[in-house]
Amino acid sequence: MNVQFKKGILELCVLVLLDKKDRYGYELVQEISDQIEISEGSVYPLLRRLTKEEYFTTYLQESSEGPPRKYYKLTDKGREYLYELLTDWKEFSNGVNQLIEEGVRK
Amino acid sequence: MNKEHFLKQLESSLKKLSLEERQDILQDYEEYFSIGIEKGKSEQEIATSLGQPKKIAKELLASYHLDMVEQKTSARNITSAVWAVIGLGFFNFLIVFAPFLTLVCLVISGWLVSVAFILSPLGIIINLFIGQFRIADMFLSLCLCGIGIFVAMGMFVATKAITNGFIRYLKYNITFVKRGIKYE
Repeated sequence: MNVQFKKGILELCVLVLLDKKDRYGYELVQEISDQIEISEGSVYPLLRRLTKEEYFTTYLQESSEGPPRKYYKLTDKGREYLYELLTDWKEFSNGVNQLIEEGVRK
Repeated sequence: MNKEHFLKQLESSLKKLSLEERQDILQDYEEYFSIGIEKGKSEQEIATSLGQPKKIAKELLASYHLDMVEQKTSARNITSAVWAVIGLGFFNFLIVFAPFLTLVCLVISGWLVSVAFILSPLGIIINLFIGQFRIADMFLSLCLCGIGIFVAMGMFVATKAITNGFIRYLKYNITFVKRGIKYE
């Protein structure tokens, strides 16, 4: 898939995953890369940017194995932004699906 | 590339960031490595999946410089932000650098004109010494000198306005440019 397109979608994926529960960076990257092929290193810059925009807060939590992990938590501002993006995405994908169906029928 | 190599390269590409921020970033990647190793991946595997440290650094640096401009608008911060954003791609080169260069040239040429006008009586003094003095020249140069002072006053206001305007343009572009970063 087109790299540019995927990177824009990455933001949406991260927000959606954090809407369900708080997660740490590695977990987020793995969840996404299980479904979509991404450059895993680019998720952290995105997480930092969205944290600075106050869409997430972070906290450290000890884990039973290894060092403490940095968890990301979606803020109300982030949730609002997620719903905005979701609406955009649904409109966009509906539009494309519509075009594809019409194209296939002919 | 192993973990140490990856982190070293990332660290050296992020020298411009504050120590605190750099360590914070490195910690994120260290955490990523250590969890990956726990899950049974090799350092090489993890480094490969992360991608090139330099590319990651570029993205981080551009965001950083834009934040700096938002915090404090100095000529140095603006220039750094302009360069960092330009580094991300040709499109950004067009929308950021072209207006930037135009405005810089405009301001410099305006100031040059006013300085030249103000200093024009000096030419008359030189004429006096080499015996080319004419009374009409003297009035002309005094006129120019006066105009030059007005131009300088105008330029003072204009420089301020242009700087503020460009900062606003950059700020307005931050969302747009940040989006651009994502698409690089």
